[in-house]
Amino acid sequence: MIPNPEGGVFAHPVTTGIIVATLAVLAVSGLAILWLSKSGRAKPEFRRELWLRWASWCVLLPLMLGPVLLGRAWTIGAVTVLSLLCYREYARATGLFRERVLSATVVIGILAVNFAALDHWYGFFVALWPLMACLLAVATIPLDRPAGYIQRVALAILAFMLFGAGLSHLGYMANDPGYRPLVLLLLTAVALNDVAAFTSGKLIGGAKLVPATSPNKTVSGSLGAVIVTTTLVAFVGGAIFRGTPLANPVWLVAMGALVSIAGQMGDLLLSSIKRDLGIKDMGTVLPGHGGVLDRFNSLLLVAPAIFHLVGYFVGFGLAVPARVITGP
Amino acid sequence: MDDWNLRPARDLGLSPADRLKSLSREQGLVGLALNAAWRRSVRGYLAAAHRFRVMGRENLPAEPPFVLVANHASHLDALALAAALRGPAARRAHAMAAGDLFFAGPAVSAFAAYAINALPVWRGRSRRGDLDTMRARLVEDRLAYILFPEGTRSRDGAMAPFQPGLGMLVAGTDIPVVPCWLEGARDAWPAQSATPRPFCPLSLTIGPPHRFPDAANDKAGWQSVATTMQAAVRRLAP
Repeated sequence: MIPNPEGGVFAHPVTTGIIVATLAVLAVSGLAILWLSKSGRAKPEFRRELWLRWASWCVLLPLMLGPVLLGRAWTIGAVTVLSLLCYREYARATGLFRERVLSATVVIGILAVNFAALDHWYGFFVALWPLMACLLAVATIPLDRPAGYIQRVALAILAFMLFGAGLSHLGYMANDPGYRPLVLLLLTAVALNDVAAFTSGKLIGGAKLVPATSPNKTVSGSLGAVIVTTTLVAFVGGAIFRGTPLANPVWLVAMGALVSIAGQMGDLLLSSIKRDLGIKDMGTVLPGHGGVLDRFNSLLLVAPAIFHLVGYFVGFGLAVPARVITGP
Repeated sequence: MDDWNLRPARDLGLSPADRLKSLSREQGLVGLALNAAWRRSVRGYLAAAHRFRVMGRENLPAEPPFVLVANHASHLDALALAAALRGPAARRAHAMAAGDLFFAGPAVSAFAAYAINALPVWRGRSRRGDLDTMRARLVEDRLAYILFPEGTRSRDGAMAPFQPGLGMLVAGTDIPVVPCWLEGARDAWPAQSATPRPFCPLSLTIGPPHRFPDAANDKAGWQSVATTMQAAVRRLAP
C-alpha cells in the first residue's frame, strides 16, 4: 500500500504540490509568451505556434489531472478513453483499421483490460495479455484469408500490448487508495522529461542519438533528461513512499531513471513507427502537438514499468476489497 | 526481406472538418457501426412505410467493385439503393451526393459522411483530380458507388440525359456498371416536399451489369458509356 494520509483528496502534500506547481508553470509560461508577443521579439508564426501549444495544454491538463483528483473510477475511465484514442490513431496510421474483425477484437481487449482494472481483479488483468495474444492470432482464421496474416496479427498484438495491456497499468494504480500522488507524479514527470530533453539538447547540442529514427534528438538531451527527471522523481518519490521498502536512495534513483529512460523509449518507439510509415504526426487532434499519441507516447512504457517496480516493493491496493464488480 | 505493405488511411493528417468532405475519407469502426445502424433503420422504414421491393438482385456482382446507376427523383433514391445491398458491398457503398446540399455545413456533413457514407460531388466545379481519386479508389479499395448520372433530381418524372462523368470512372476498366430503375420514388418523396410521404409504394429493378473495357478514356468514350447506360436504365422502366 502507498502511504495515504487521512483527510481527502488534497491530504497528501505531494498531490497539492504537483497541482500548484502545474498551475504555476502554466501561468508563468502564459506570461512569458505574452511578454514575447508584446515585445515583438518572436516571429508571428512562432508566437502563434507557442500560443497554440499553450492553449492545448490549458485544455489537456484539466482532462489529465482532473480525473485523477476525482477518484478511482474516473481515473480508470480516463485511461480507457486515452487508450481508445491512441489505438484509433495507431490503427489509422498503420492501416490496421481496415481489418474490422481484428480491430474490433483489439477494442474489446482494451475495454476488457480496463474493466479488469475497474473490477480490481488482478488475475484477469494479467491473464488478458496472453489471452488476447492468442485471440488476436486466431480471430481472422475463419475469414480464410491467409494473405497478410502475419502483418495484421503482429500489428494487432503490438497495439493491444501498447494501448491495452500497457496503458491500463496507469488506471490499475488507482485501486490503491494512495494512488493520487504517484499517478500525478508520472503524468507530470514524463512531460518534464520531454521538456528537459529538448532544453538540454538545445543548450548543449553535440552528437545525435538515433538520427535515422528521430533527427532532432541528441545524446546530451537524452542524458540531461535522465539527470533532471531522475532527481525530481527520486525526491518526490521519497516523499510519496516514506516508510516503505521503496524509500531507499538506490531504489528511488532507479525509479527516477526508469521513468526517464522508459519515457524516452516510448517516444522513440513512436518515432520508429512514424518513420517506418513515412508520416510526421499521428493525428491533428491537439493543435501544436499533433495527435494524442504524439503527446502520450512517453506514458506507454512508463506505466507498466513503474507499476511493476512499485508493485514489487509496495503493492497496489492489497488492503482494499478485490473484484468489486464480479466478486461474490 | 521486402518491406511490409503498410497503408496509412488515405485521409490521415486531415482536420476533422476537412476529413468529412474528403473524397479520400475511409471509415473506421465507429463509421462502420453508425453506417450499419442507419442502413438497417432505413431498410426497416422502407419495408414498413413504402413496401420496398427489390427485383433482379441476382444481377448484382458477387463482390465490389461495381457502380450502381439509377434514375433520380428523390432523396430516397440513394438510401433505397444502399438498403438493397448486402455484405461487403453494403459496407463499402458510397453514394455520390451533391456537395452544395449534403456537405454545406458541419452537422449535415457529419450526417452525410457517417450515416449515408456519402462522397461529395461539386456540381459544375468538379475537378479532374477529384474524378481521378474516385476512379483510383473504386479499384484499389474495392468500393461500390451509387451514382445518379442525371446530375439532379427530376422534377417532372422524366429522366434527363446522363452526364459523361460516369464514363470517367469506368471507361477502359472491367468494373461492372449495374443499371437500376426506381419506381415510385417521386411520389414517395417529391423534390418539392421537405419530408417523405409514407404509404407510397417503392420498388427497385436491378438489370444485368455492363462492362466497358474497350471504351476509350476520353471525351468520346465517356459519352458512349453514358449513352449506353442511359439506354440500359430506360429499358428497365415499366
